[in-house]
Amino acid sequence: MHITEQPIDVAALIAETSDPTCGALVVFEGIVRNHHEGQDVARMRYTGYKPLAERVLRELEEEVRERFQVPVCRIVHRVGTLEIGEPSVAIVVRAPHRGDAYRASEYAIDTLKHRVPIWKNDFYSDGTSAYQDGIPLSASKHDKAHT
Amino acid sequence: MRIEFYGVLTEAAGVRHMEMEVTGRATVQDILDRLQATVPGLERHLPRVACAVGDDMVTRGDPLEADATLVLLPPVSGG
Repeated sequence: MHITEQPIDVAALIAETSDPTCGALVVFEGIVRNHHEGQDVARMRYTGYKPLAERVLRELEEEVRERFQVPVCRIVHRVGTLEIGEPSVAIVVRAPHRGDAYRASEYAIDTLKHRVPIWKNDFYSDGTSAYQDGIPLSASKHDKAHT
Repeated sequence: MRIEFYGVLTEAAGVRHMEMEVTGRATVQDILDRLQATVPGLERHLPRVACAVGDDMVTRGDPLEADATLVLLPPVSGG
């Protein structure tokens, strides 16, 4: 399960990925913040196309594990209406050493932002709302998110 | 054929999904052309839209079954 409407249980992700071969654990959480491009944000609604989003995140986990030779990469993204301060995404990486874990975690979030069919709709404090402009999806999963 | 909209496209189209009568073979591009002509609000979004059938991405030239569900995906902003 990679897409959830429930609050992300980061503690559970950490517990279920325990690995005695790994000396490094990097946890990244994306958090809903209270501003976007100069406007005050009151809350945010995430929507997604679940069939493809599940596949993309599953394949991204596999790619990260292979590319960075890390035993553990777990990614969970939340959809629904989120309040300020709530996590929208969590990425748990475990590796024998910290360098690989840091690099793998950064690659995972950067690539997720280019590939996963999920959309942010900002609800502003003045009562208006708007979808954030995003990054066009490519038909090729091998396009690099960054270099 | 069923067409599903996501993200900003739901606002642009004014609906989350619609049905389109399709006879014979049609490509993804054929369907997008018809949407451009019949749903004016989508016009400026369609050049940046990606398409999927199920959990597979499809390209503009791919043929579609008449009973397929074509999913239109605007630029993404997850994370």
